[in-house]
Amino acid sequence: MLARVANNLFWMGRYIERAEHTARFMNVNYFSSLDAPNKLSQSRKFVLQSIATMVGDVPKKEKDLSEEDIIYNVGLNPEKPYSIFNCIKYARENANTSRDSMSTEFYESINKFYHYVNDFPKELLIKSGLHDFTTHVIEQTSILRGRIRSTLLHDEIYALVLLGINIERATQIIRIIKTKHEDAQKALGGYSKPIENSFEWTTLLKCCESYDMNRRFYKKTPNQNTTLEFLLLNPNCPRSVMNSLNQIQNHMATIDSLKERDKTSAAFLVGKMRAEYEFKTVEEIETDVSKFIDYTLQGLANICTKLDYEYFNY
Amino acid sequence: MKSKFTNPLFSSYIKNEGLFDEIFDDNKKVRKTYKKIFELYRDHSNSDYAALNEKAKAAFFNQGITFQVYRDSQTQEKIFPFDLFPRIIEAKEWKTIEKGALQRSKALNAFLWDLYHDKQIIKAGIVPMELISSSANYLRQMQDLDPPGGIYNHISGTDLIKHSDGNYYVLEDNIRCPSGVSYVICNRNALKRALFGVFNHYQIHNVTNYAENLLEIMESVKPHGVDIPTCAVITPGIYNSAYYEHSYLAKTMGIELVEGRDLFVENDFVYMKTITGPKKVDVIYRRIDDGFIDPLEFRQDSAIGVPGLFAAYKKGNVSLVNAPGTGVADDKAIYTYMPEIIKFYLGEKPILNNVHTYHCSRPDDLKYVLENVDKLVVKPVDEAGGYGISIGNKLTKEEIENVKTVVKENPRKYIAQPIMSLSVHATYIEDSNSFEQRHIDLRTFTLLGNNKEFVLKGGLTRVALQKGNLIVNSSQGGGSKDTWVLKK
Amino acid sequence: MAFDYTIKYKSNNTYENPVFEAYWQFMIIPENNVSQKLVFSDFKTSVNARIEKSINGYNFQTARIHCKQPFADIQFEAEFKLTKEEINPFQFTSKLEPSQEFEAINSLNFKVEHESYLTPTELTKLPSKHIDLYKFDPSISILDNLVALNKWTYLYIYFKAGVTHIGSLLNEIIEHRHGVCQDFSHLFIAIARQNNIPARYVSGYLHQGDGFFGDSQMHAWAEAYIPEVGWVGFDPANDILADHNHIKVSHGKDYNDCSPIKGVIYSTGKNETQHSVEVTYEQ
Repeated sequence: MLARVANNLFWMGRYIERAEHTARFMNVNYFSSLDAPNKLSQSRKFVLQSIATMVGDVPKKEKDLSEEDIIYNVGLNPEKPYSIFNCIKYARENANTSRDSMSTEFYESINKFYHYVNDFPKELLIKSGLHDFTTHVIEQTSILRGRIRSTLLHDEIYALVLLGINIERATQIIRIIKTKHEDAQKALGGYSKPIENSFEWTTLLKCCESYDMNRRFYKKTPNQNTTLEFLLLNPNCPRSVMNSLNQIQNHMATIDSLKERDKTSAAFLVGKMRAEYEFKTVEEIETDVSKFIDYTLQGLANICTKLDYEYFNY
Repeated sequence: MKSKFTNPLFSSYIKNEGLFDEIFDDNKKVRKTYKKIFELYRDHSNSDYAALNEKAKAAFFNQGITFQVYRDSQTQEKIFPFDLFPRIIEAKEWKTIEKGALQRSKALNAFLWDLYHDKQIIKAGIVPMELISSSANYLRQMQDLDPPGGIYNHISGTDLIKHSDGNYYVLEDNIRCPSGVSYVICNRNALKRALFGVFNHYQIHNVTNYAENLLEIMESVKPHGVDIPTCAVITPGIYNSAYYEHSYLAKTMGIELVEGRDLFVENDFVYMKTITGPKKVDVIYRRIDDGFIDPLEFRQDSAIGVPGLFAAYKKGNVSLVNAPGTGVADDKAIYTYMPEIIKFYLGEKPILNNVHTYHCSRPDDLKYVLENVDKLVVKPVDEAGGYGISIGNKLTKEEIENVKTVVKENPRKYIAQPIMSLSVHATYIEDSNSFEQRHIDLRTFTLLGNNKEFVLKGGLTRVALQKGNLIVNSSQGGGSKDTWVLKK
Repeated sequence: MAFDYTIKYKSNNTYENPVFEAYWQFMIIPENNVSQKLVFSDFKTSVNARIEKSINGYNFQTARIHCKQPFADIQFEAEFKLTKEEINPFQFTSKLEPSQEFEAINSLNFKVEHESYLTPTELTKLPSKHIDLYKFDPSISILDNLVALNKWTYLYIYFKAGVTHIGSLLNEIIEHRHGVCQDFSHLFIAIARQNNIPARYVSGYLHQGDGFFGDSQMHAWAEAYIPEVGWVGFDPANDILADHNHIKVSHGKDYNDCSPIKGVIYSTGKNETQHSVEVTYEQ
């Protein structure tokens, strides 16, 4: 397989996943804030700040946080590289360049999806369409993932797309945790251990589509301990970093089979990180949450650099 | 004159005298070949047909079977409009077309070999040297280079029309990178889905065997000493207007679709960069123009080529399909010598007619052209895509004077031909929700390889969708029809 | 009599911004022909890249470098040793009468055979108002005509470095009457072709021991084809026939076919190139 095509497949996976997380983050934060239990969590500025932080584009002055701007920028603004519109556009462009390795069914889905986003009116999004738009994006990305699984040959093409999806998922989950952890520190909960019981943990789980699963698993109101454990370490939670790492390792094995393993290779880094995660406890993480978040982000970035060098160098 | 037909879809069909109608004969009777399909359409109401048409359009758009149009530095994504009424060619008629297209391709190939070797046809005084030496597409780097199998134009597209006399005429030969073959196959698929019932009544040649034949042709010209060649299609990239076709051909041949940056040259061999390291490439179907294939040999500003590719080709380490330098022979000025070229190399009479052509470079012809601009089609010799063409009977007085001025300034650049009346075919027009007469042409696809030849039994019938328009090119708002070649 | 030449070629390219990937193609290797024989060649470069020898579309040797690591400047050095025979100008005398010579060049076969070197290019196209700048005399031989043209060109243009560049067209050269060896050669070639004599551009090295014009860069002269004699070299910048001081590298329709260095650089910003050439010989 061509290195360039491999790179495009990988990034197609990443952009599809990124679009979904961005859409859900905006959706959940915006709508759960409407009936949040404390003032700060209800505050518009607080929510907008959180969304802006998530996409990494916070205005310098708080008074510049305009609801319309942020919704438009994150949703449809073609000038903003992080907008959902651009994620879908890039995903489609990547699919275009590797069209000969795609199935017609998958290509048709992503093409239709692009035209939906491209045709979505700005005014509608800002005024009343936020829910429809983000929900549609979330649904379409699930359809795309389904098409990938059910219409592509499960060979290296599939492995590369899934590698992209899972690395992006792990990265997005970590970034969502980072944003909400910072929010939780600001919006304290009402009980004895304020940070640990913040309402923001519930929002966080919803942002990761893991609230129901978490309730089922722990059978109590989410707090810092259970949320972090669930989203970072639980291998059975499909959104956890642990789960993503397991999948990353599987898919690496498909494309890596022809290479010699050495201690600087991407496959080695993946294996090492996965092993570290497997035997980590949430108590260890809680001693310094921010540090662990940064460590994970750095680890994922290192893997990507290595992948670039070893597989996508063209 | 106006006449009514019983089918509502044909209620506003106007049959113009003097045009060759493919469906109705001079007595306004449906021709024999079209009887069955005409009857079938009788069962469709206008709204049925409109719905079918919408469905077909949506399918093309969603599958991304589109092309980009450049105008005023903007690009737009468009579908190539597709018409659901197929064009049918009888077996006997096709036989002549097929033989004629093959004859032309072979003659052009022999001509190219000669131009890049001894130039006998010029020394014999048949083709003037100036036509060659002033051609921007004459690549002197190809002098004395023997392409594998002696083949230059592996892929040729021949554009034909049917004149009001009922005979086919060749309008031009395309032997650089003729495009359109993917639409032939997509049109067939679309029609099969929309109107599967019709296919029971006709025995039609299949068109999906194009890709396998193209791959065989590519493999037949593999470099010396290679057992099983690795083939690839090279494209300028996703923004090229024919990108869909490039990816389609790569996909159906099962070979890689590469861009210039995927390839590199080492020790005069060509490699592609894969996730498991470099892989040698032996045969490249290139959909990049000559000037852009190698910045070290041709245009240095080319960002889509492969530095060193020509040296590798010259050494015989990689084969290029089509060979560089073929453009010199599909020049519109060369076209006019085709009858002589066929006779010189093959000793045969041309099977397909040439349209009589006036060369503005010849003083007598120039004089005639300047006096008769209103009766002629004046074309630049080296523009593709239908640009710069003026059709005499459509021009205002002022425009005629303009044409005269530009032709006088640079006579070598222009040729002129009598206005040919392209045949017309029933074409569904959305605005009127009914069938109307529209002009059509036909592009056939011929493949030449090392001891192998193939003519696709079918072709691209292009329709000029604007009323009365004679230019059927897709960038000028043309559409296309499925083209059926009958088995008997 | 034979001369043993040593040629040292150096080029130094510096770039404003780092270059990520680059290709260079040098066409600086002396060709082997009847009067010169290459006995040694060596290439060095400051970057970590392979140097590959190949041939270009016109059958001249090239040295190609493909560099994949980022760098900001690159040096390239080449050294050649060759032997060169003295050239006897009398060998060029034609056995044909002038009228026979002119008849020969006007035959269709001759024109077709030499089409490449008879057709004007952008750099060798005489502006229409100067089309009759210099006319050949049909009563004397083609060689004599060319020798006279050589002298005429030498006198017409003043040698001046830095006023013209590689893309300068003849209109500018003819009206300002200044230029360097490339411009002398292009004018000579254009006029020869206008008079139906095949003429080609030659790129090479000039041994400057005897005070000839040229500079410490590569030199350019012209070759013209005389029926029954063959290609003869003329150096209009020095008003001499090409001799043992002229070491040929390549020929072509004009400078563009003979460009000593071609590069494809993936970078942005300005760049600077310096060349130097040193030619020495022992007899």
